[in-house]
Amino acid sequence: MTALAARLGGIRWTHPRTVGIAGIFLGAVAFWLTLPPLAARTSALPILVGLLAIAAGIWAWARDERRVGGGAVAAGLLGIAFGFLATQSSTAHLDSVVVWSALLAATLRYATPLTYAAIGGLFCERSGVINVALEGMLLTGAFFGIWGAIWAHSWAGGAAWAVGLLIAALAGMAMAAIHAIWAIHLKVDQIISGTALNFLALGITGYIFIDKYGDTGTPGNVADYGIPDVHIGFLKSWYFVGPIIGQLNLMIWLSIVLLVATYVFVFRTPYGLRLRSVGEHPRAADTVGISVYRVRYAAVIGSGAIAAMGGAYISLGFVHSFSENLTAGTGFIGLAALIFGKWRPFPTWGATLLFGFSSALADRLPNAYGNQWGTLFQALPYVLTIIAVAGVIGRSIGPAAAGRPYEKQ
Amino acid sequence: MSDELLAEEFEEAPPPGGPPQPQQHFASRFRGLTGAVAPLVTVVIAFLAGGLVVLVTGKNPVKVYHAVFNGTGLNWFFHIGSYHARIPFSTHKMWFPWNTASIAAGNLQQTLLLTTAIILCGLAVAFPFRCGMFNIGGQGQYLVGTYVAVWLGSSFVNLDPFVHVLLCVVAGSLLGAVWAGIAGLLKATVGAHEVISTIMLNWTAVWVGEYLFGQGGPLQGSNKSVPISNDIAAGAKLPVFWGLALLQGLSIGIFIALAVLVVYWLIINRTTLGFEVRAVGFNPEAARYGGISVARNYFLAMAIAGSFAGLAGALDITGWEYNLGQNDIPVNQIGFIGLAAALLGRNTAIGVGLSGLLFGALINGTSGRQLDPSIFRPDLAGNLTTIIQGLVILFVGLNLGAIWASIRRRRRRAT
Amino acid sequence: MADAPLLELRDISKRFPGVLANDHVDFDLRHGEVHALLGENGAGKSTLMNILYGLYTPDEGQILLNGTEIDLGSTKAAIEHGIGMVHQHFMLIPVMTVAENIVLATEPRRAGVLLDYDAARRRVRELSERYGLAVDPDARIDRITVGQQQRVEILKALYRGADVLILDEPTAVLTPQEAKELFEILRSLKSQGKSIVFISHKLNEVIEIADRITVMRRGVVVETVPARGATEEGLARMMVGREVLLRVDKKPAEPAEPLLEVEDVVVVDDRGLEAVRGVSFQVRAGEIVGIAGVDANGQSELIDAIAGLRHVKSGRIRVAGRDLTNGSARTAIDTGIGHIPEDRHRRGLVLPFTLTENLALHAYRVPPNSRRGFLNPGAMLARARRLLQVFDVRGGTPTTPAYALSGGNQQKVVLAREIDGDPKMLIAAQPTRGLDVGAIEFVHRRLVEQRDAGRAVLLVSLELEEILSLSDRILVMYEGRIVGEFPPSATEEELGFAMTGGRRGGAEAA
Repeated sequence: MTALAARLGGIRWTHPRTVGIAGIFLGAVAFWLTLPPLAARTSALPILVGLLAIAAGIWAWARDERRVGGGAVAAGLLGIAFGFLATQSSTAHLDSVVVWSALLAATLRYATPLTYAAIGGLFCERSGVINVALEGMLLTGAFFGIWGAIWAHSWAGGAAWAVGLLIAALAGMAMAAIHAIWAIHLKVDQIISGTALNFLALGITGYIFIDKYGDTGTPGNVADYGIPDVHIGFLKSWYFVGPIIGQLNLMIWLSIVLLVATYVFVFRTPYGLRLRSVGEHPRAADTVGISVYRVRYAAVIGSGAIAAMGGAYISLGFVHSFSENLTAGTGFIGLAALIFGKWRPFPTWGATLLFGFSSALADRLPNAYGNQWGTLFQALPYVLTIIAVAGVIGRSIGPAAAGRPYEKQ
Repeated sequence: MSDELLAEEFEEAPPPGGPPQPQQHFASRFRGLTGAVAPLVTVVIAFLAGGLVVLVTGKNPVKVYHAVFNGTGLNWFFHIGSYHARIPFSTHKMWFPWNTASIAAGNLQQTLLLTTAIILCGLAVAFPFRCGMFNIGGQGQYLVGTYVAVWLGSSFVNLDPFVHVLLCVVAGSLLGAVWAGIAGLLKATVGAHEVISTIMLNWTAVWVGEYLFGQGGPLQGSNKSVPISNDIAAGAKLPVFWGLALLQGLSIGIFIALAVLVVYWLIINRTTLGFEVRAVGFNPEAARYGGISVARNYFLAMAIAGSFAGLAGALDITGWEYNLGQNDIPVNQIGFIGLAAALLGRNTAIGVGLSGLLFGALINGTSGRQLDPSIFRPDLAGNLTTIIQGLVILFVGLNLGAIWASIRRRRRRAT
Repeated sequence: MADAPLLELRDISKRFPGVLANDHVDFDLRHGEVHALLGENGAGKSTLMNILYGLYTPDEGQILLNGTEIDLGSTKAAIEHGIGMVHQHFMLIPVMTVAENIVLATEPRRAGVLLDYDAARRRVRELSERYGLAVDPDARIDRITVGQQQRVEILKALYRGADVLILDEPTAVLTPQEAKELFEILRSLKSQGKSIVFISHKLNEVIEIADRITVMRRGVVVETVPARGATEEGLARMMVGREVLLRVDKKPAEPAEPLLEVEDVVVVDDRGLEAVRGVSFQVRAGEIVGIAGVDANGQSELIDAIAGLRHVKSGRIRVAGRDLTNGSARTAIDTGIGHIPEDRHRRGLVLPFTLTENLALHAYRVPPNSRRGFLNPGAMLARARRLLQVFDVRGGTPTTPAYALSGGNQQKVVLAREIDGDPKMLIAAQPTRGLDVGAIEFVHRRLVEQRDAGRAVLLVSLELEEILSLSDRILVMYEGRIVGEFPPSATEEELGFAMTGGRRGGAEAA
């Protein structure tokens, strides 16, 4: 607690960065004010707050804090736009769409596979290997996870999910091993090899799925031995957040553990330092005796395991079934989140939450506004990423050596 | 692709202790050799591996591949005889060595319809590749071409057919160019990586399309119970010169695609634009020092590429699809098949043409319509095609020539 | 007093495809000495040291440490034996701090898995004090000066317990002041028992700092001599094998009207700092103006600005009377600027392009090479044939890709292209870097030829000999300003002094 207080005391409240972050916050507030439970009805309110956000953003931008400044301006504009739309819509509509407990729970559920995919991508790319095959690894994990669990059910009963997870991880590692060999030893263009793997994953999982379950689909009772929810009695009774976090799936809790572990590993251990050195300047790492190849292999194969587990969460922990191309682009949103979060664990998590929220909202919009708006909303994560990549919110620069195969002399 | 790898080698400092070069001689010699050999080897490996997958799941690969081959219509070429064929667009008949009305003929028409789109989508990847960019956005650029073609095709009813078709086709190309141009502009101005921006644009195009053509969407047809657009007007349909339009005969789109292949070759090899594009693709710094505007070429290469893919979309709509349904959009993969074709064809005009034919045949031969389910389930076959596609891309990325050269080099060092 | 050698390389041979980089080389290093390894580019000195550092394995020969044979199969092994190397291109990770770079791969730990940053900082400070190498452990590498970066590199080696330090062309990136500081550090290290190998091609430095000098030429050791009593002429003769003509034969200049006018130009570099701070000068038709200076004092940015490749913040640039300030590279080329860029692989040539295409890199846009956007391959081929012959380019035909040529011939292609454009003004940036003597002579002759034909030539070079030999007027750049103008009769000492900020001799501009 004292550390936190020291941190808070140490923040310079008039520093442009803080102002910029406050601006982003204000932009979100502008929208939030018009939503239940506050449901302000005058459009003046979101406009005013949004303008404040924009002002803060411009102020920060002018003082060279481009990324947060731009973000605040964007947040302000979006806040005004959505806030305005909300005030024009009936309260009944808003109430049926904006059910916060459902929204937040759904946000976490959507964000979690993104987190696994993005963190997997983080390790891989931090070592200097571009990974566009996150989608394929996710899908591989989704299929082999549930397939493994179904197979294990006969002898492991209710613990079959653990076997499923293990098999998912192994499958993801196998897929990642191909990417590793191609990218590291055979020095193929990493984007090509990643794209190829996406197709392979799609085809192989589809093929085996139809071969085994084509006519009947996966068994209906997978929910009995899927990845369990974690019921925490005392949390459940907390006001407002209780129902949400009192029974989150195990994988969601594990994802938070994963985030913390990733941060510590990458930024506070020697191995993380070596990982980053290999991704930034592999020759320098080589000259101090670090085996660039070994580090990269470990990173890529590890990323396969992590991403695959995210996929297993979808099939074993969320929908409890599998269908062809179950992941349908989730891996790419994960990649987008990683870029948005500038290859750092916690900002990436923020991005996955943002994207998860937009998916959750898109799910609920049809309750009041008809199917089309929900559909259109699904494009939001992609549009946001384009803006991020365009550098309006600050250029997203990855590890310096990413994408270039290392040639040992 | 070999060019890119070679160019990569030269960016390293020359090895200390002596003049460089002899290893580069190896690579250059093999580059010529592997011009056609490498893609062929790749295809063989991919099909063998695919056959292995079939074998492992308990089916006969030879039977499967045979059935697929018959479905492609390529067997049509092998049945030479004496027939009377109807001359296109007239009622006269003339002697022709092949039977233009057989089942195989019908299959071939389907294959060539697919080939049309694949060639164009392949060029959409090949052109930016020569400029050093990876355009994975062909799918999105294709889709927006279809959207505008359907919209314009169904919105006007009594336009002069030539004008109507031209309108749809040009609009499709233009919108495709715009869609790709966004990525090109971002790369030219702020240096945003085109792989990321085009992937994101792909998905944006998918969702925009689902919105447009979904229940209640602005382009949903007059039948509000299904999420499908209206049919395009009769005047907006491309003339079919082989087979019957009702049975998806072959439209003149194939000739347009072949013409664009020639245009591609001309642009790359015989124009100043192509010269600049290639220079930028090999060495943007040197191009810049030579006075070439790198940013302008990035943008132009992407825009031109997008126009190819958008054209493919427009040709598909006006040539045989005639409408667009919400459910068609996310399952369509033609942009990515074009990607595989471009890679396999090593970004050359002839290569893309031949690969387009190969993949068109493969997709058609494994489709539900052609394949006898008792031999092999079509949905299994569809996945098999995806696997083969993935394998092709995986193996084509290997610069077999350079690997061969480096193996020989290593052997030489050891002696 | 001769001690038994600490390190001995006996009979080392190393072959690369097509070249024998080291031919039965003997080299030894005594305890506590500074031993210089001298030779031209391509002489084999870097290869030899890369073998010593474990980056290459020798085809023949042995390495002995304190009399016992050792096997250096990897850099790790070399480090373990106490051999450390400071490369010419630093092996530092820009986004990481000094301390992180130094401790990388041998990090101090806390609780077994965590990185102990405090211990790392402490150790860096200890080392830094002991050897007199002042650095800030928490500074990011991309924010410190080149001289400081070099100190970090040295600390890296010392941190790993190096007793033998190999320095590869360490002064190439330093100002003369920083070079003096480096020599002080080397003397201090020597007195603490370290042994140093100093690779260089700079005669005066080598004589100043070394105890012994080994001269290599074409993969062979010519001779090993004590530094005391060695002369620059003697060493140069050993390096090259004949009397080195240090001056080019040329007629006196007859300059006419000014073709390049630079007025008060300010240019900002990639980091946002002012690299050129108000530079004014002129180059007239029929003269060669040489800009001397240590690397990274604004010369590159100045040239880029003149050639239209970089934004000019303020000031004016006029070529043949036309204002070209902030015009594009293409406008510069069209107005008549020929530019032989600094790095022919990265900037001068498109290596996978054929010679024809490279020669046409500017001319492709004009008839007869193209008409209305369509290329005329026949015309381009004929032009290429002509140019290749006139410029005596060997090693390829018009359809050979540029990467197949040797460095000298590649540079000839660049020259051919630029000169054939009939420019009014020619910029030559490091035109003879990495070339053998024959190619150097060719380039020098051509530049003088152009000057005699009435063109204005602006020469930028890091080699004072080249500047003195070719220029009719010499300008010295230091920290973005012209700090002196000298006649070609100036001495290297005078120029060197000005290059470090001294102000003796000649008018000062800005």
